[in-house]
Amino acid sequence: MNNPLGKNFALLEAGRRLFYILLLSLAVGALFILLIKENPLRSYVALFRGAFRGKLNFGNTLANFTPLMLTALAFAVGAKGGAFNVGVEGEVFLGGLVAAYIGIHWTFLPKILHLAACFLGAMAAAALWALIPGLLKAYYRVSEVCSTILLNYVAYNITSYFVTGPMSAGVANAQSLPVADQVRLHQFLRPSSANVGIVVAALVTLATIWLLRKTTFGFKIRAIGTNPLHAEYVGINPKTMLVKAMVLSGVLGGIAGAVEILGVHGYYLDNFAAGVGFNGMLVSLIVKNNLILVPVMAFILGALKSGALGLQQATDVPKSIVDTITAIFIIVGTMEGLFQVSRKKRNKKSEA
Amino acid sequence: MEFSRIFSSSLIYATIRSATPVIYAALCASVTQQANILNIGTEGIMLVGAFTAVTVSFFTGSWIFGVLAAMIAGLLMALIIAVGHIRYNAEITAIGIGMNMFAIAITKFLLKALLGKSGSFSEPGIVGIPKIHFSFLEAHEGLNAIFNDWSITEVFMIILIAAMSFFLYKTVWGLRLRAVGRFPMAAQTSGIGVNALRYQALAISGLIGGLAGAHLSLGYSRMFTENMTNGRGFMGVAAMFFGGADPLLTAAGCLVFGFADSVGSRLQAYGVPAQFVLLMPYVVTVFVLSLSMAMKISRDRRKKSSLFSLSGKGVSAESAAV
Repeated sequence: MNNPLGKNFALLEAGRRLFYILLLSLAVGALFILLIKENPLRSYVALFRGAFRGKLNFGNTLANFTPLMLTALAFAVGAKGGAFNVGVEGEVFLGGLVAAYIGIHWTFLPKILHLAACFLGAMAAAALWALIPGLLKAYYRVSEVCSTILLNYVAYNITSYFVTGPMSAGVANAQSLPVADQVRLHQFLRPSSANVGIVVAALVTLATIWLLRKTTFGFKIRAIGTNPLHAEYVGINPKTMLVKAMVLSGVLGGIAGAVEILGVHGYYLDNFAAGVGFNGMLVSLIVKNNLILVPVMAFILGALKSGALGLQQATDVPKSIVDTITAIFIIVGTMEGLFQVSRKKRNKKSEA
Repeated sequence: MEFSRIFSSSLIYATIRSATPVIYAALCASVTQQANILNIGTEGIMLVGAFTAVTVSFFTGSWIFGVLAAMIAGLLMALIIAVGHIRYNAEITAIGIGMNMFAIAITKFLLKALLGKSGSFSEPGIVGIPKIHFSFLEAHEGLNAIFNDWSITEVFMIILIAAMSFFLYKTVWGLRLRAVGRFPMAAQTSGIGVNALRYQALAISGLIGGLAGAHLSLGYSRMFTENMTNGRGFMGVAAMFFGGADPLLTAAGCLVFGFADSVGSRLQAYGVPAQFVLLMPYVVTVFVLSLSMAMKISRDRRKKSSLFSLSGKGVSAESAAV
């Protein structure tokens, strides 16, 4: 784009597009709400209240926002490197499991080291898990979409086995023993589950943006994602870089798992991350993997998720309407040609 | 552990039974892959089909209407993908994933709004797809276990594989479709309506995907549960990859999955943890997929010449690269 405003203009354009798509999907959502004879306006107000009104609701929005931002980043990093990593969910599960295990058993460590061990363990486990589809894609051309989706089921079943078997707390729910108090992340805005994990997530986000935008490593990842042939020509090995992008994606997924376990639950809960990985992927897809917009969109989606409960309580609209709207949002969002047509027309007008 | 009880003759039908939904899904993905469109939305098409089939069967009391409605619902889903991808340049993997999310959400929403249920819907009023019973086979135990009581859609699956192989490889339409998949520009130059064929491929894929869902909810079981496809659509896509989008090879690949699934469910009776049984088909699928891709690469390498590397790859994992 040879516009004098350059980058900022592109960001503005992306924001404008996002706004249109949001309006359109809210309109389609309203249609569905009308279909079951409810008032869309009242429902949306209830949704908004459910997301922001009061300590509990706002806290839950923040608590939803934290893992979403991390998983969205995890997906975005993979996508920058040219891998469509649907497996963030599995990474979160395994990362959470390892964080819980270390949190429960390694109590001989002092507080800071123990906390670090939890995070490092989670990162390592998730990175190893992401390594599998990365290697398969790089060296055997196995579609990473397929392998990561299927491996998600495997990861879930592995964690489910541990939490109902060897690591079970022996209570009615499938959950582990609580982690040591010293590794719990401090909660605020009680009784919501907002916690200090949000600071961790923010720092990790900044670090990732810096890594991808300002370092050679980040440049290499972006290079293989944009044009692997050119990257190879200038001496970047696309195969190893792809694997590294996947591993980085896994590291971020693992952090998300650790934050969820140590911040929100305090023990490993079976199926605790259902949808966290997928929703993160949605966030990233909607903003086209733009790292600056990822936190913004993660916040919007986090608010929608937390508002959904309020919506269901205040009206007769099932909370799955929010997922429906989000899905429409992404479907419309992927159609790149949709709002470009109107822009071309406008450009022509301004030229004339 | 008694191996004779696990590997009995009834295992053959059990394998086919658990493979059939995946085979339908794989055929749904194959037909678009022949036109070089990776239909990740298979899972969602199937799920919407499953829901529609159960709902219509419940309200009309006819499984035929249920199946037809499911196919129409699948068609609509596929057409959204088609319009998004072909007309508005949507990235196929992204819109496919979007459709899958949409399918999960909208079926949940309608399950609650239309039927007032959450979780699952199972009523005696749902009319399932009938099974074909031959009374003369009852005398022979082995044949009875293998050939008796197939549901109509399981039999139709075999016809569909044959029909698809015929249409793809023996008709002008199939040749054109594959030409579009191999090298759209050349196809266009020779006067083939590229986009029309792409729309047709997705439409057919939608019909098959809807049928896949209908079979899952009315033939394989007789109920609807949230997210009941449970990755079967994706397994179908994986099977499509290792079958190279050839209907027959693809279906054969699905049998591997069906085998893992039915052996697993028998092992459960011998104290193998449920989670290992559940994860086995996925592990097997990933493993077989990787193995077949590795073999394909070594095959390609052997016959590689300067001429060969110029021609389009057609159906390969690279076309799935994002």
